[in-house]
Amino acid sequence: MILQTDTISLTLQGNRLLNDIALDVRPGEVLGLIGPNGAGKSTLLRIMAGLLRPDTGRVLLDGQDLFTMPPEERGRHLAYLPQEAPAAVGMSVRDVAMLGRLPHRRTASAEQDATAVQQALDAVGMSAFADRSSARLSGGERARVLLARALAVQAPILLADEPVAALDPAQALTVMELFGQCATQGQAVAVVLHDLALAARFCTRIAVLSQGRLVNIGTPAEVLTDALFADVYGVAVRRCGEVAVPWSLVSSARRP
Amino acid sequence: MSRYMLTVAVLSVLVLALAILSLAAGPAGIGVLQGLSDMLHGRETIAATVIGQIRLPRMILALLIGGTLGLSGAALQGLVRNPLADPGVLGISGCGALGAVLVFYTGVSAVWAPALPLAALSGAGLATLLLLALTRGGTLVLVLAGAALGSMSAALLALTLNLVPSPYASYEIMHWLMGSLSRASLHDVLIATPGLLIGSALLFSTGRSLDALTLGEDVAQTMGFPLRAVQWRVVIGTALAVGSGVAVAGGIGFVGLVMPHLLRPLAGGRPSRLLLPSALGGAALLLAADLFVRLPVSGAELQLGVVTSLIGTPVFFWQVWRLRGRPV
Repeated sequence: MILQTDTISLTLQGNRLLNDIALDVRPGEVLGLIGPNGAGKSTLLRIMAGLLRPDTGRVLLDGQDLFTMPPEERGRHLAYLPQEAPAAVGMSVRDVAMLGRLPHRRTASAEQDATAVQQALDAVGMSAFADRSSARLSGGERARVLLARALAVQAPILLADEPVAALDPAQALTVMELFGQCATQGQAVAVVLHDLALAARFCTRIAVLSQGRLVNIGTPAEVLTDALFADVYGVAVRRCGEVAVPWSLVSSARRP
Repeated sequence: MSRYMLTVAVLSVLVLALAILSLAAGPAGIGVLQGLSDMLHGRETIAATVIGQIRLPRMILALLIGGTLGLSGAALQGLVRNPLADPGVLGISGCGALGAVLVFYTGVSAVWAPALPLAALSGAGLATLLLLALTRGGTLVLVLAGAALGSMSAALLALTLNLVPSPYASYEIMHWLMGSLSRASLHDVLIATPGLLIGSALLFSTGRSLDALTLGEDVAQTMGFPLRAVQWRVVIGTALAVGSGVAVAGGIGFVGLVMPHLLRPLAGGRPSRLLLPSALGGAALLLAADLFVRLPVSGAELQLGVVTSLIGTPVFFWQVWRLRGRPV
């Protein structure tokens, strides 16, 4: 399934948040959405998830308008992982992951649900904690359980808003590898990221947003140039070939 | 048998036992089976009258009103994700009682009987809508708004009854504010039952949506559960259920606070799994409380709401204690 934004724009309370954004997320790819704070990344992802209606333009899922699709059907096609979710107090890890099967309540058997949940928990490495109360998890474990919930939907489109923001480097790598596996298995994945090293390493394509506009989209090598850092982020870049991260940011002086 | 099924089974047996006790208990030494048999065969005996006109309506109303109060407490708590949500605590019952009092003492309900439950459920519905509009303000705003609504409805209710030329005004104020089933009649059962049943059905239908909401409104919406649809079902369900109960029994508080609190550990944190146990628990609590008020303790019969409040306030304090220090 292909998720496509067809020149969408959005103005909220007089602020132009998005301007004629046209992009698509294709099966088998991880699309990274990057850009400075306030560029409109999360807003764009919320529109792609059907949570916000654009003022103009359409969001199309395999050519069909996302906003005219029955909510339950949309729920099966599209899994959304927000930046923050409330603690599902008192629920076991398995029960939280099982919530991901709610969109399939009329179409899947109990066995299919159980298998999907088990696969999702295995994928995030939380099977051993399946019966533990979600209230007794660390921040990183909780993030992985919420990811398992999104994976359990088994939707062709997976949208994640800064999924690694609260994770240590090891867990962040694990989660990004997981998105890579999802793409390998045919899912279309769109991820809002601030960590450009992770974006460079794991994204098939990167879309750069700045002040509500799509300024560039392409492979990491095409997009992540010194000129982009200067123009979009207002920082200078020093290349340091030996270390794992291909660059370090040496100046934080923002442009006016 | 899972823990959930065991909880439901135990509570069902408890409700059944209390319902039978409720029919059997009373000053007149009357055989329940004899009374029921006489009633069903149309024999106009004392036993048939006592069971059919007094004890059966009282039992049915305690069962249904207690059940819907427990259920609406569980559904409201699932919707606003706050363990302090209860129709009594948040002033929903009080506003329902105010609506009922307005049509009862102006004589409207004497002309047109359905006006009584309709006015009560309008009051309860308006209160629920107002509270939902304030939900985004967080726990503190919700509870303060509930306290304000409760105080306002109690004051207006007392004012209305003071203006009505009734020698029993203070007794009537007690009845509507604290709630009682001592005057329950078959007519009350007929008036309240439709709203209680339809309201319950609506509230029971929200189970999966409430489960989805535990992950936040955005995730619930992307999974096919728009928040607005759930909100409307809970508002209309609560208004119907609480309003219909209040119309015949006054504002009985705290049942919806106590039962979800006690049963939450057994339901495994899933709001959908809290609905049926809370309904059964609420029915058991009100049947038991109604049996208790019939005991000849102080000569005069206690108000039912006094007992549920005495049970409920410690739980309320406990919840506030647990919430202390959390951001509001």
